[in-house]
Amino acid sequence: MARPATEELRRRNRSALLDRLHRRGPQTRAELTEALGLNRSTIGALASDLSESGHIQETTGRPTGAAGRPSTLVECVPEAATVAAVEVRWKRLRLAVVGLGGTVLRRDEVPIAPGADGAAVAKAAAALLADAEVSDAIAAVPGLVDGGTVAQSSELGWADRDFGADLESATGRVWRVVDVATAAAVGEWSRGDAHGVANLLYLHGGHGLTAGWVVDGRPRRGSSIMLGHIVVNPGGQRCRCGLSGCVEAEMGTFDFSETIDETTIAARLGDTAAREMVRRSGEFLGLALGAVVTATNPDEILFGGWLRELYLSSAAAVRSSLAEATLPQLRARLRLRTAALGAQGPLTGAAEIGFEALMERMRLMWLARQDSNLE
Amino acid sequence: MLLELSRISKSFGPVEVLSEVDLSIDAGEVCALVGDNGAGKSTLVKCIAGIHAIDSGTIAVEGDSHEIGSPRDAAALGIEVVYQDLALCDNLDVVENMFLGREKLRGVVLDDDAMEQLAAETLESLAVRTIRNLRQTVASLSGGQRQTVAIAKAVLWNSRLVILDEPTAALGVAQTRQVLELIRRLADQGLAVLYISHNLNDVFAVADRIAALYLGRMAAVLDAADTTQSQVVELITSGRSNGLGITDSNGVQP
Repeated sequence: MARPATEELRRRNRSALLDRLHRRGPQTRAELTEALGLNRSTIGALASDLSESGHIQETTGRPTGAAGRPSTLVECVPEAATVAAVEVRWKRLRLAVVGLGGTVLRRDEVPIAPGADGAAVAKAAAALLADAEVSDAIAAVPGLVDGGTVAQSSELGWADRDFGADLESATGRVWRVVDVATAAAVGEWSRGDAHGVANLLYLHGGHGLTAGWVVDGRPRRGSSIMLGHIVVNPGGQRCRCGLSGCVEAEMGTFDFSETIDETTIAARLGDTAAREMVRRSGEFLGLALGAVVTATNPDEILFGGWLRELYLSSAAAVRSSLAEATLPQLRARLRLRTAALGAQGPLTGAAEIGFEALMERMRLMWLARQDSNLE
Repeated sequence: MLLELSRISKSFGPVEVLSEVDLSIDAGEVCALVGDNGAGKSTLVKCIAGIHAIDSGTIAVEGDSHEIGSPRDAAALGIEVVYQDLALCDNLDVVENMFLGREKLRGVVLDDDAMEQLAAETLESLAVRTIRNLRQTVASLSGGQRQTVAIAKAVLWNSRLVILDEPTAALGVAQTRQVLELIRRLADQGLAVLYISHNLNDVFAVADRIAALYLGRMAAVLDAADTTQSQVVELITSGRSNGLGITDSNGVQP
């Protein structure tokens, strides 16, 4: 009865090896041996399994400048397993088909009608995806997401929309729905600068403000934070969500997604109204962040979307009001940074979430390469 | 501490420009140096860079006190300065500029391939995506791209401390943002950065600590996370703010 256990161990090791190559890029067998803590011959056997199934290939190594034969590099075959990531935005739908190892195989973008409902967006996504063979499909949606349901999205004007079901009926496959900020947080953690940050908060500025919270690179169910609807000025401006004095309403974010560049440039050049607007927005953002920092105690906060421009133009206001709204112990080691992947963050992260699921399945059962049936 | 300045004084004739200035900078942090015009920021930088000799005080790098008599001494200690008026040669390309005066040789000829690869790796490590062609002349680059080359040049030489004197003063808004992100990345890679700026927004965007000079004296060194903009403005303009800052010679805060 030892066979199943050995087989299971082998599956797990195969998946661990592939996961490492996927995350860290091409490596030599020696590096893999060291990183995974397995025997050299085990690595050899795993590598030959995976290259037979078409997941990896061995190439001539990088020149080291040293004498001797360069060691061969093991790398992922991007086409062996692909994930489709779709990002829904106000007026735009973006698609990336990402291969193993993080190579983007295809990018596409179509306009969608403002205020389009879930079914229409799902149809557009199906058309964009066409007949691409992918093993996982992930959709990133701005707003509060619960399972496949978009509970609230002020950017798209959706409430309690079962977007997962919409996508499934349009494309005939199962989709996973995540929120944009969480996807971007995963992206920055796995492919950006924020690797190794235990407790990472990503703030996304789209038509509304959302935040994603990942712990050790993994999102948890319910980890999206409705940053835009934290009340910073009770009894203030009426917001689309029904509350009064939300950050979003006080900052006028609906305009910022279109006008952030003009506003910050005007502020830099000395336009008084623009300066005042940027300063006030920064202060409100700092106040809202104070509440979030107190609640979640992150190690690093990333400003993404147009919040990058706003933060770099109003850092003094943001940090001043953050300093007044948090405990010294919480802010002492807190790092504030801008997102390294920029606009690609959400799609990159959504694809990574797909690969994470793929690796998990490989751990449980052996998946041959999609387009061949070797096993 | 990577760099420790203690009781640095410097006079030009009868004018005392720096008076017993203390400052320390650790690896991995951005320390911003702020102050009004004439507060002594540039003089302090020039003292660290070996352009001016200090009258009294000590400069210690990683705990060892050093005499910095010339820019060459400073470079040998891993201190690189990027000046406002970038010292780049317009007629040379990006790679040639980055290796100017320290070219790599293969035998007696220049090893162009190795230099280009090293330059590309350096820019890559700083996530610089704005410079595509490393063989274009610096004359054809924009202000932000030039600033990027000047900063990347500093990184290439295993510097431990990079001093930036008003790096964003002449740049547009989008370029300023890129340079600010670049400065932050330098420190995140483990370098110490001394950053001089007049713009408090830029200071707050990148700094871990803020040192305020007032008329040649160090008014206060604050944690950027613990301070507010108005506090820093008070320190710059009056040298004191709510219990912080310079006390008068009789020890009383007026």
